[in-house]
Parts: sequence; C-alpha cells; structure tokens
Amino acid sequence: MKKKLLIFLLGLPFLGYSQSFQVNLQGQKQIAMGGAGTGAALDEAAVFFNPGAVSFLKQNGVQAGISPIFLKTSFREAGSNITEHNKDKIATPVMGYAVFGSPAGRLRFGLGIYTPFGGAMHWDENWTGKYTVTSLDLRAIFVQPTVSYKITDHLGIGAGLVYSNGHVDLRRAVPLTLNNGQSGTGKLEGSTNDFGWNAGIYVETISGVSIGVTHRSSVNARVKSGTATFDVPDALISSFPTKFTATLPLPATSTIGFGFYPSEKTTIVFDVNWVRWSKYKDLSFDYDNNARIPDTKSPRNYHDAAALRLGIQNQTTAKLVLRAGVGYAFTPVGEGYVTPEVPDADRLLLSAGLGYKASKNFSVDLSFLYENVKARTETNIETNLNGSFKSLVYIPGIALTYKW
Amino acid sequence: MKSKFIIRNILAVAVVAMASCKPEFKEVTPNKGTADFTRYIAVGNSLTAGYADGGLYLEGQQNSYPEMISGQMKTVGGGAFYSSFFNTNQADGSGYLRIKSLSASGLPVTETVTGNLAVRGQITLPQVGAVTLYTKFSGDLNNYGVPGIRLTDIDNPAYGNANGFFERLLPAASPGNTTSYLSFITAKPWTFFSLWLGNNDALGYATSGGVGGVLTDKARFSSVYNTVAAALTGTGAKGIVATIPDVLATPYFNTVTLASLLAAVRVSAPTVQALYIQTATGTRAATAQDYFVLTLGSANVIGVPNGAGLPYGLHPLNPIESKYVLDQAEAAQVTDYVNTYNATIKSVAAAKGLALMDAYALLKEYGAGKTVNGATVSAAYITGNLFSLDGIHLTPLGYAIVANAFIKSINTQYGASIPIVDVTKYRGVKFP
Repeated sequence: MKKKLLIFLLGLPFLGYSQSFQVNLQGQKQIAMGGAGTGAALDEAAVFFNPGAVSFLKQNGVQAGISPIFLKTSFREAGSNITEHNKDKIATPVMGYAVFGSPAGRLRFGLGIYTPFGGAMHWDENWTGKYTVTSLDLRAIFVQPTVSYKITDHLGIGAGLVYSNGHVDLRRAVPLTLNNGQSGTGKLEGSTNDFGWNAGIYVETISGVSIGVTHRSSVNARVKSGTATFDVPDALISSFPTKFTATLPLPATSTIGFGFYPSEKTTIVFDVNWVRWSKYKDLSFDYDNNARIPDTKSPRNYHDAAALRLGIQNQTTAKLVLRAGVGYAFTPVGEGYVTPEVPDADRLLLSAGLGYKASKNFSVDLSFLYENVKARTETNIETNLNGSFKSLVYIPGIALTYKW
Repeated sequence: MKSKFIIRNILAVAVVAMASCKPEFKEVTPNKGTADFTRYIAVGNSLTAGYADGGLYLEGQQNSYPEMISGQMKTVGGGAFYSSFFNTNQADGSGYLRIKSLSASGLPVTETVTGNLAVRGQITLPQVGAVTLYTKFSGDLNNYGVPGIRLTDIDNPAYGNANGFFERLLPAASPGNTTSYLSFITAKPWTFFSLWLGNNDALGYATSGGVGGVLTDKARFSSVYNTVAAALTGTGAKGIVATIPDVLATPYFNTVTLASLLAAVRVSAPTVQALYIQTATGTRAATAQDYFVLTLGSANVIGVPNGAGLPYGLHPLNPIESKYVLDQAEAAQVTDYVNTYNATIKSVAAAKGLALMDAYALLKEYGAGKTVNGATVSAAYITGNLFSLDGIHLTPLGYAIVANAFIKSINTQYGASIPIVDVTKYRGVKFP
C-alpha cells in the first residue's frame, strides 16, 4: 500500500497553475487537483473558487494555508556560454477562509483572504539583465466578504466584495557609473488599496454533473504615491525623482468548471479559465522629477489567455483522500514582450496531494505543485535583452481546517 | 502511522525535486571553426591599447577590447594574452581626465589624475619636439596597441623614438631605436591577428581643426595597408580588420555647437546674431555645418576682448581660431578621406578573405542611440555611456560593444562560436 502510494505520487500527472503574475494558489485541495474546483462544492475555498457553491457546503469551517513558491529560472544571453540563475528567494502566499451560517438554511456567509496576484523574482545585482530588473516583489492580497444564497436545492448564487491591498518593490540597476565603478541602482516601492468583486453560480444538474460559472473582476492596482529611491552619483542625485505613480491592471478572470462524480468516493473536477490579460497594455511610471529620466511607458501588450485544469480526488480510506491533477496555462505574453521579472511562457502543471482527517473536526491537506514553464528565446523589443529563459516552479503547500 | 509514512514520502519527493532541479539549457560547446587562436595579436592604435579619458592608464588597459576578446578566445583554445600593463604603483600611466563636478549646464568640469604616473622623463627631438617617456615594459606582448600611431608611421624605423607609448615597448631608449612598428609586431610568430589602424591618419587633422597634422595621402594609405595585411597574412594566419569610425560622429565634434555657443553668449549679450570663424579661405560667420571641438567649451575664450577691445568670436576681426573649428570644407575633406580609407580596408579584407568589423557602421548605429540589455547608449557626451571623457575614445562599456562586434564577425567569417562578453559588466563614464 505504501509503495503503491509512492508510485502514485511519483508517476501520475498531478495538478498545476499560474500564469504570468497571476497566482493560482487559493486552496490546498484545489491546488492538488490542478487548480480546478469551480464546479464543485469542495470546501471553504469555494469563497474564492465559486461563491455560489458556498451555500452548498455541508459544514461550516475555517481553514488557513500557505504555499511557499520555489521558483527556479535560468537565463542565457544569446551568443554567451554562461547560464545565470535567479536567486533562491521564496514567496509565501497565504490563504484563509471561513464559512458561517446554518448549513441547513439557504443563506451562508463567507470570508476569504488570498493572494491572486504576485511574484518574487530576484536576480543577481550584477546580472546581464540588471538594467532591466534586478528584483521584483509583487503581491496583491485580497480580502473578500461573501454572501451565498441557495435559490433552490440545485441552484446557488453568491457574490463577494473584494478589497485589494497590494505592495510592489521593483529594483534595477541604473546605467550611470558611481565613482567606485559600480552602476547606480533604483528602487520603486509603493502600496495600493483598491476594490473589486467576485461572483458565481453553482448548479447541480439532474445528470449528477455539477457546473460552476464565476467571474472575478479586474482590479486596477494604483500606486498613488510610491517612493522612488535612487543610488546614483551625488552630482546627479538632485535631478532624480523621489516619488512616482503607476497602475498595474490585475485582470478579470471568467471560469466555467465542472464536477463529475463517477463513484461515491471519487470526484473529478475540470475548469477552464479565461483571463482578460489584454487589459495589460503597458507598465507606466510617472515620476515627480523628469530632469534626468523621463516617464516610462513599457509596452506589455498582453493578450487574453486560457488555462485548462483537470483534477481528481479519491476517498481512499475513511480518513485519507488522495488527489492529483494536471493543467496547462497558455501564456498571455506575445513574442518580443518577455521580461526577466516575469519570464512567462506556456506552462504545464502537475500536482498531487492528500487530505487527512485527524479527528471529527480537524483535518490537514497537503499539496505539491510542479510547473514546467517552456523555454523561450527572444529579444525584448524595449530593452533588446536577447536570450533564453526557462523556469521550473515547485510549490509545496499545507492547510489546516477546523470544521463544526 | 501510515499517514506519517505517506507524508514523509511526499516531503522527501518534494525536497529532492526542489533542491536538484534548476533549469538548464542545452550544453554550449564553443568552437574555433577554421581559425587558430593559439597566439592572437592585436595590431592597432589607442583604441586597441585601451586608451580612454584622454590617457592610457591601467584600468583602461585592462578593459581594452583585445583583452576582452582574448579572454573569450580561451574557451576555444586561445593561448595566454599579454598587454603592456602599467605597474599598479604607476596605475595612472600617462594621466587621465576625471569629472570634478558638473557645471550648471550639465557639462563636466574635468581634472587630470596625476597621482601615480608612469612618466620617466621627457626628451626633445629635432623636428618632433618634446616626447614624454614612460616606464619601460619588457615581457611577452600580444596587445600591440600604440596610442597615436598612424598607419603611415608603421614602416618608419625612427618612429619608436618619437612616440613615447611605442618607445616604452622597445628595448632602447629614445633616440636610439631603429625598429619599425611593422618589424616589431611581426618579430614573433602569430596564428591570429586583429588589425585596427588608420584612425589617426584622419584624426589628428580633424581634432586640430585642420591646423595640426595632415591627412595621409590616399594612395599611401592603400599602399601601407596592403603591406601590413600582406605581412600579417603571409605566414598563413587568419585575422580580422576593422574600419575607421566617423570621427565627426563623436562627442568631440558634437558637444560644443554653434547653437550652444550662441545660447551661452546671449545670456549676457542677447543681440548677438553670429559667431565668426577663421577658415582657410578667410573669416566668415559660422554655420550649423561647421564643427567646433570639445576643448573650445572649457577654453573660456568666447567674448574675451583682444587688444583692440574686440570680443573673441563675436567680431569678424577677432574670429574663433581655426584650431577650434573644423569648418564645413575641412569636414567634407575628412569625410572624403575616411570613406576612401574604409573602401581600402574593405577591399583588402575581401581580397584576403579576412573577417571585417565595420566600426564605422557600428559606432554610427550605437551613437545614434540604442538600448543594450536595458541600458541606453548613445554618442551623447558623458551621458551616452559610449564615449569616455575625451569625447573620442570609448568607455569600457563602449569597448565591450566593440569586442562583441569583433567576436561576431570572427564567428561568422571562420565558422567559430566564441562566446560574447557581457557588456553590462563594463562601466560607462564615472561620475563624482
């Protein structure tokens, strides 16, 4: 049995997720099933995946989880024989959900805290692309109070208001040489406070298949008064800005998901996401002092992109659930627009996980997600950085749940 | 019990996967193609020596393009490479410029670094004048870059007495040398060469506003170029030659302009309409087609009254001296000669089957403004990152761009795959 389990974990394609700086780590069960879960009332994370399914949850509960992201990216400049690697820096998106109300009633309430967008990319301070970026830390934490209403025994709707709290820290080298021979550096840091929404419909059909349709709105993350810190030669420092404004559009995502129940113990979930990345036309920084550096408008020209996610879970024993999934996310980044802060490409997602019910109220879920981002070789149209990127991502995760 | 085991296994798999797997690309194996880089020699002038900021000093020597190229050649069987480095206790070499501060208009106020010079004396030669002599260098040498040398000088056996940078490399003290540059560089066998000579055959005339130096006769240029190319390829060695950059596209001729001079004058004399320049055909008002040299900016002569009370440059009877101006006719002459020299270089490259690095085109392209790995470079003085403080020679970043152009041409011509250098590892102009 143990051996079988190990073979299962090693050999089966498991789940996955993520696309550009969208982070799809919102629930350990769903992570373990390729990131799918919109079409099933799985657990408290339905607050994120489908507010319409929250009213179908059989118990109330709270859960908290974390999914540290181990991102390994390599770059090789065209014509060079040197491969450069990003630094081992771990991003730690957290997630927490609570669902209240009477499970017997039609109206339920939920609260979710999750990180749908983010990134942590750290290159060596003196790497080949240092004038494009040396590090990016980006996160948008969403807090979402939610109402879910069961219109009939087979149809539920739900909606939540999203408050988004964002933080960005972007650093790069500045092509001005300090007296010690080192290049200057610049740091742009700011926070954002914005609003959006999340709504969904959940249907349990007569055929036994459940269907979920959701839409998460876009959020314009506006840095209204960011701090620009430049380490440049003293003779020039007065001509550099100290403040900036910028807007990063966090795209809307529409999802249709299905739940299939081939046996009492087995659930299969399948999601299709459509992410409206085309909103992300450019990354612009407006500075308060343009004497030395002009406002920048870096073209991104993302296009809308889909992600497909398929997952399965099996109630192996009374206490143990095994999960696996596979996914494929199409990149929204067109040729010539790949940047080292988010070296995106089409990616394959494999995932696995398990759930263990330790007691009547308490359970733990583990997941592991592997993302293989395709290698990509091209010249960026803005920076002329010319070379190949290749990324692998490893994301273990754990969540603790208390139900009552 | 069972669950613990499972969890342990999952953790083990996860940890192994995360620790082991950095993405790797297909292995690159640089190869030398049909060339042999066992002993690479670099033949050239100041640009080859690593001259920058108006001087030759250790940091510049270390960041010369031949040093960069030879470092990359080591991946394809290149041998040891030696430059005539100044000792670290004489690292300031001939002395060089650095920025002391910036003026209100953003132009640098420069000063000369003279702390640890390698100057050993001075000698005055008849018909040549004063020659500064430097601490001798003896030892293996691959970088034969000699600042100031013209193509037309290379077969002159007495030249080693008149150029302190060449004298430094020769065994005898000036005026006792009788070895020509061509003899010197061909004394020891080589397998590969780079040849970037000819710049000074036009540069001296241009930078002196047509007053000092003469343009080397076109036929003479062609003759000597064929001689040196024949000598370098005569033993069967392969190599690369480079064209002469457009000197008129350097910051030396584009920083001080008629517009910038008039703007400065009009601060105190708003009615001034013209500046007067001295030309070969007489005094006339300057136009936008005339070039002013960089050093006019710091000479502080404009508007200074002469004995008759006439302000310098503002009155036809006290014009800006010819040494500060490369007038339209002179500039046309420089362009004509450089184009002819380059035609010679290209035809020799083609005839001998040599690789060609078109420095004229390269520096035009980058000088016009180009983004390199996210850094903008251009021919703008000090802020362009391409040209050093003298406005003619390159920064380490500029030399790195040149080195990669050499490498790419060598790779193309000889089917080699020498890896390029990372240009972002090299600095631009240092600011205080």
